[in-house]
Amino acid sequence: MAKKKMTLDDFKAIQERMAKEKEKFRLRVMLCGGTACRASESLSVKDALIEELNKRGLSEEIQIVETGCNGFCAMGPVMMILPEDIFYLKLTLEDIPELVGKHFVDGKPVERLMYRDPVTGKIIPRLDDIPFFALQQPRVLRNRGLIDPEKIDDYIWRDGYQAAHKVLTQMSSEEIIDQVKESGLRGRGGAGFPTGMKWEFCANAKDDIKYVLCNADEGDPGAFMDRSVMEADPHSVIEGMIIGAKAINSHQGHIYCRAEYPLAVKRLNIAIDQAREYGLLGKDIMGSGFDFDLEIYQGAGAFVCGEETALMISIEGRRGMPRPRPPFPAVSGLWEKPTVLNNVETWSNIPQIILKGPDEYTSIGTESTKGTKVFALTGNVNNIGLVEVPMGTTIGQIIFDIGGGIPGGKKFKAAQLGGPSGGCLPAEHLNLPVDYEAVTKAGAIMGSGGMIVMDEDTCMVDMARYFMDFCQDESCGKCTPCRVGTKRMLEILERICNGEGKEGDIELLEEIAQDIKDCALCGLGQTAPNPVLSTIRYFRDEYEAHIRDKRCPAAVCSALFDSPCRHTCPVGMEIPAYVALVRAKRIDDAYKVLKRTNPFPAVCGRVCGHPCQYKCRRGQLDEPVAIKNLKRFITDNGKKPKVELLPVTREEKVAIIGAGPSGLTAALELKKRGYAVTVLEELPEAGGMLRWGIPAYRLPRDILAGEIKDILDTGVELRTKTCVGRDISFKQLEKDYDFIYVAVGAHKSYKLDVPGENADGVFGAVEFLRAHNMGERVKIGKSVAVVGGGNSAVDAARTAVRLGADTVTIYYRRERKDMPAEEDEIKAAEEEGVRIEYLVVPVEVKTLKGEVNGLKLARMKLGPFDRSARKRPEPIIGSEFNVEVDTLIAAIGQNADIEFLPETSGVENSKVKVNVDANLRTSNPKIWAGGDVVTGPAMVIDAIKAGRDAAGAIDESIRAAKGESPWAPLEEEKIDIPLEIDEEIVEQPQAAMPEAPPKKRRKDFREVELGYTLKTAIAEACRCMRCDVEIEE
Amino acid sequence: MVTLTIDDQEVQVPEGTTILEAARSIGINIPTLCSMPEINHYPGACRVCVVEVDRVRNLVASCVYPVAKGMKVKTNSERVRRARKSVVEFLLSDHPQDCNICVRSGNCELQQVAEMVGVREIRVPRTDFTVHRIDDSAPALIRDASKCINCLRCVAVCAEVQGVSLLTPEGRGFNSKVVPAMSAKLADSACTYCGQCAVVCPTGAIVERDDTDKVWAALEDPTKHVVVQEAPSIRASLGEDLGLPPGTLVTGKMIAALRRLGFDRVFDTNFAADLTIMEEGHELLHRVKTGGTLPMTTSCSPGWIKFIEHYYPQLLAHVSTCKSPQQMFGPLAKTYYAELAGINPKDIFVVSIMPCVAKKFEAERPEMCDSGHRDVDVVLTTRELARMIRQAGIDFANLEDEGYDPPMGQYTGAATIFGATGGVMEAALRTVYAVVTGESMPSLDITPVRGLEGVKEAALEVGELGEVRVAVAHGLANARKLMDQVAEGTSKYHFIEIMACPGGCVGGGGQPIPVSNEKRRLRAQALYHDDAEVQEFRQSHENPAIKELYEKFLKEPYGKLSHKLLHTNYTERGI
Repeated sequence: MAKKKMTLDDFKAIQERMAKEKEKFRLRVMLCGGTACRASESLSVKDALIEELNKRGLSEEIQIVETGCNGFCAMGPVMMILPEDIFYLKLTLEDIPELVGKHFVDGKPVERLMYRDPVTGKIIPRLDDIPFFALQQPRVLRNRGLIDPEKIDDYIWRDGYQAAHKVLTQMSSEEIIDQVKESGLRGRGGAGFPTGMKWEFCANAKDDIKYVLCNADEGDPGAFMDRSVMEADPHSVIEGMIIGAKAINSHQGHIYCRAEYPLAVKRLNIAIDQAREYGLLGKDIMGSGFDFDLEIYQGAGAFVCGEETALMISIEGRRGMPRPRPPFPAVSGLWEKPTVLNNVETWSNIPQIILKGPDEYTSIGTESTKGTKVFALTGNVNNIGLVEVPMGTTIGQIIFDIGGGIPGGKKFKAAQLGGPSGGCLPAEHLNLPVDYEAVTKAGAIMGSGGMIVMDEDTCMVDMARYFMDFCQDESCGKCTPCRVGTKRMLEILERICNGEGKEGDIELLEEIAQDIKDCALCGLGQTAPNPVLSTIRYFRDEYEAHIRDKRCPAAVCSALFDSPCRHTCPVGMEIPAYVALVRAKRIDDAYKVLKRTNPFPAVCGRVCGHPCQYKCRRGQLDEPVAIKNLKRFITDNGKKPKVELLPVTREEKVAIIGAGPSGLTAALELKKRGYAVTVLEELPEAGGMLRWGIPAYRLPRDILAGEIKDILDTGVELRTKTCVGRDISFKQLEKDYDFIYVAVGAHKSYKLDVPGENADGVFGAVEFLRAHNMGERVKIGKSVAVVGGGNSAVDAARTAVRLGADTVTIYYRRERKDMPAEEDEIKAAEEEGVRIEYLVVPVEVKTLKGEVNGLKLARMKLGPFDRSARKRPEPIIGSEFNVEVDTLIAAIGQNADIEFLPETSGVENSKVKVNVDANLRTSNPKIWAGGDVVTGPAMVIDAIKAGRDAAGAIDESIRAAKGESPWAPLEEEKIDIPLEIDEEIVEQPQAAMPEAPPKKRRKDFREVELGYTLKTAIAEACRCMRCDVEIEE
Repeated sequence: MVTLTIDDQEVQVPEGTTILEAARSIGINIPTLCSMPEINHYPGACRVCVVEVDRVRNLVASCVYPVAKGMKVKTNSERVRRARKSVVEFLLSDHPQDCNICVRSGNCELQQVAEMVGVREIRVPRTDFTVHRIDDSAPALIRDASKCINCLRCVAVCAEVQGVSLLTPEGRGFNSKVVPAMSAKLADSACTYCGQCAVVCPTGAIVERDDTDKVWAALEDPTKHVVVQEAPSIRASLGEDLGLPPGTLVTGKMIAALRRLGFDRVFDTNFAADLTIMEEGHELLHRVKTGGTLPMTTSCSPGWIKFIEHYYPQLLAHVSTCKSPQQMFGPLAKTYYAELAGINPKDIFVVSIMPCVAKKFEAERPEMCDSGHRDVDVVLTTRELARMIRQAGIDFANLEDEGYDPPMGQYTGAATIFGATGGVMEAALRTVYAVVTGESMPSLDITPVRGLEGVKEAALEVGELGEVRVAVAHGLANARKLMDQVAEGTSKYHFIEIMACPGGCVGGGGQPIPVSNEKRRLRAQALYHDDAEVQEFRQSHENPAIKELYEKFLKEPYGKLSHKLLHTNYTERGI
């Protein structure tokens, strides 16, 4: 028998008592005791706090409440101080005395322990002002952090059990179901079936015995929504179930919770006991005559037991294997009785729907999906935690605005929604408003709400393999497609990840996947292929890279490479080898190693975009190894390997148009293979963009000239000041040479496309830099404006500074974190006095007498995300403003000038780029092209790779046509690579590059970066973890 | 009735019919490897029977999906054909590709379905292929889990039909396989060796131990005098495995074939069945008259014996001490017959042809050596005998009928019906009635104990004994019902017949595959025909050879020599 029969007056009395009790305390410390915060020692912090309060005699005036999960899990342990709403995070035991002393005693909150905005650096004291919380709308989580989950009175204080009282005393089954139907609530377990309809089916089933079940068998990797609800607000689940029981006339319920959730089970048990004590469970609840009781069933952790039929079979005590439907549980469920099964989140939505009415509920959400959704935000995202947002919030808002974006400046790659049953959505879907239909259409599923963020270092094939492995492991083995089919898919994926993929594997995966989806018995099998299908849909190129090129672009699939740095380097420089040689002080050998793969190591040691460093494993620990700087160190200090004249052994002659890094590399490689090579260059010197675009303070001319000389010394013929089309006709060239490699780069700046830009004093960045580097006297004004955010913009700005401009301002249309220029360059520019304005765009160039004298700009705001996962800037109407400017440099991009190619050349092109096939061959079989002229502006190392690949392909095609065997490279000197590794790795950041002081360097074009000393270089080389070697223990 | 469209044909079927049944009713065959409607086994596991249903997103398993009004079904669309092929490819990708040397080659359902859906290649890799150690620990059944396709039929039969629940799925995903509980070896398990799992297995994952080579060797051995006995039901089932319709009575052809195979004497277990009635009937009378343990149960079925030894060891006193007919035949062949024929019993080699795999175990029980030698040397199942006949190239269907050798070949109709559930009871009552009242029953047909009803009962006035109440169960789950009553002390019966297999021996674990209730019925019908129409005598005590046996050798039923040779005791076993 129930001990009490609660009435509305009783509820009111409890609420009043609770309010008074809370007023008794001067401050209330709401300390998070959720699983995540406990893992970061929140309970020790609590003990320390209690001790400190006791010591200072504050126990009577300051209350400590251990709450359920607050949601900001990445910042744990966290606490909120009421009534001030001040929020502290990442607390340690050592912080407690200071916190108590300063805040609780002196009344001065401790800023150091508050949230600091990662972009602005501003301190945000109040929880509600922190973007992570400010953009959420907690409904299911409405009590998080505000109540003690182990006290029923706390829940009642927050309106708890009033909805249950309402349905039991005032509402009929039909009325309850109508309300739920009107609310549009859909099952939050993932399938999104309308909850009210499900209840109605079950209510209509004729049977004396019916069951309500709560699915708390949350098992998706990275999902912890349900656990947090149960830990933070267990009574909301119980109350929801009471309401559901009344709606279908059930008298017994079960909560199926996995045993791996001990805290949730404990709190649920406490809650059930308390509810029984208050007569909210048991016989004749609240005097309504309605009986209902609840039991917890602990599952052993089989993922498949989250499937409804398997869950019921498991409760029945049998092996949890799904059974075919129909019959559906609403007709024949647990013990073959009509059963309603909803998940935790669905149940905890119910009380508020009843209490506040369906209209309030439907006021947020999308057309098809009402209310909110709780997501467990995990993976490569700054604010890992639990978030609740209205349906219709975009994925981008969740990840970037609430989640704080991607850590470490990495690029966003995909969001995995719905766990192993879901799919990966790429950047193009960041603007997708989440609801069941939209997410499904995009190739994922809502699922129970797991959202795993993946950055550029995630291999999507590996990710698909991981999820398939999970599904295969968790398959119950009952039906053939899931038992065997997923295994076969897994094997194919494993093969691909191991570099043993074959042509046709992708298609086979797609075919099998479709049949498994079509045929599997339950949801687990039917959705198991989703991660594979969605990654193939959006990242097919990554699969192809693994299969065809045996490359893992994210440098994850370790079977495909020895070290991630080398794998990532476009030309495969032997990075671990030369770093090891530096460590062994064998600098001359290191230089030889450099030259084996790259004819421009001294150049690359200065201006390479170093993609290798972004994949350096050391970077996961502290900072990547400074590979670029070490390369430069070698070329600065090592003895340059000797160059020999190479003989001409073949009859074919090759002309190369353009003496940039790509053309020169191709020339060298062809020369090695015995061809006579002539390089034609329009400008007076070789070097291309390295000579005419990059300023000398970054790349001294003698360094570049030295490396070009090495190439020419092998016997490559260079003809400068030879413009094809002017000095020699293209036709003549075709006649004189057997093959032509076009590598003219991209030397033409984009126009701003605003009125007035043809005025004097307006330059394109490339043209500006070239003119200066040609030794022309470029007329530079006092007030220089540069428009753009890439390396060219920064180069132009820093050059303008050196040319004597008073003020140089870069105007960029996005935010700083979106600038494509390298961070080091941006910093250096700022040090030299360059100002950068963000979120502005030029709308008009003001002129006076044909000369620029001002710039009209508009302010921008950030709109939806674009495909680069950055928010697209949009002009704010009416925000225009003018600045005085006498020189304007447009650095918003560049393209190739290919006017020299006659229409008769037969080379297909897009006017700004030349089209080539996978072997860099154009539509004219005699003509090949590579570098920026094909790809648009890219890194030096990409141009070098293109030159090398083109040379190889030209040679191969010649030999293949003649039936000769492929070229065998000359035997190289064997250099033994030492293996010396530190036993213990001590955290230590990258060695800084010594630089000339800003004040001094603004005046001239001498090199800014000064290079490592031997000691620094060795220390830096020692940071390499040598992941290229497998060390057997 | 529900009207729906299947492949553009309209069809009307009762509500609750599955799509598969509805399709079959209009001549559309849908392949399936797991469902078994007769035992209500619809796991929806194999997914071979998938069909396309209008407005249902995925394909559905037609074996379980109920029809609905206006439903439009496609059983032969491109999508369906493709999916079925994939599913079978998946199965084959994890199945040994050695069909030619598999004992089930030719009547393997997987083979048939693969042919039907048109699998010509296996596109998916077979990188990981589960090789399981073959479990040949048991003297009756051999499990080769690598051939298992997880149809779960054996699990269902073991649990639902036999009430044993020994077989169970274990492990997850690709590694999930059906195993005896706790992954025990069969020999160490509480398996009854009833062999029903082998009968329902669609592949060769569970098969009888093949002992034909031992028999061939004995037949080749000039020093051996090889005699053979065939259980009652063999004559009604053997023909099925040799191209004749189910229920064909092939007694004469069987005898002829056995002679062609080279057996020196062709005797009959039916002779021993008549003897069993004499012994068991008298034992019953003895128990009734002396206040012995009642109800008494039969003891002919070795699967049943092993079952009660494992699961109701406390009730073993209820079991008749009579050996089964097979094990009564063995010692007599090596004593009575040896003496008559003047052959050294050590040179006599007794072969049994049984419908049963548990008989192999029974013959090897250590106590079955009362003749001073192994009483029965080798037990073959019906399937193994058929295999030998095929091996020998015998044109079975066209053999001329031949007769049994005397003296252990003579039998009555009472013996022959031992092969069907209720038969032992019927035969026993005929003789008990006659012994007690001194006259034959008015009608020898006791129909209440016939048929496939799970538990049957009858009551009969038997002279001075008054009303004798009997019950019959077949299938061990049904046996449980009666034994639970006995255990609770609420059983109202005097005599209970239990056969381990559904339908009795006609549905035995060694019988031709596949089996169905219809086949069980036809086989039983053939036996009742033999009893009613073919045999001269229909009551065991009328068998002249039996009379002669008692006169010349045993002296009296349930007597001293009988106890030595024909009765036994049982062993308590754990679960």
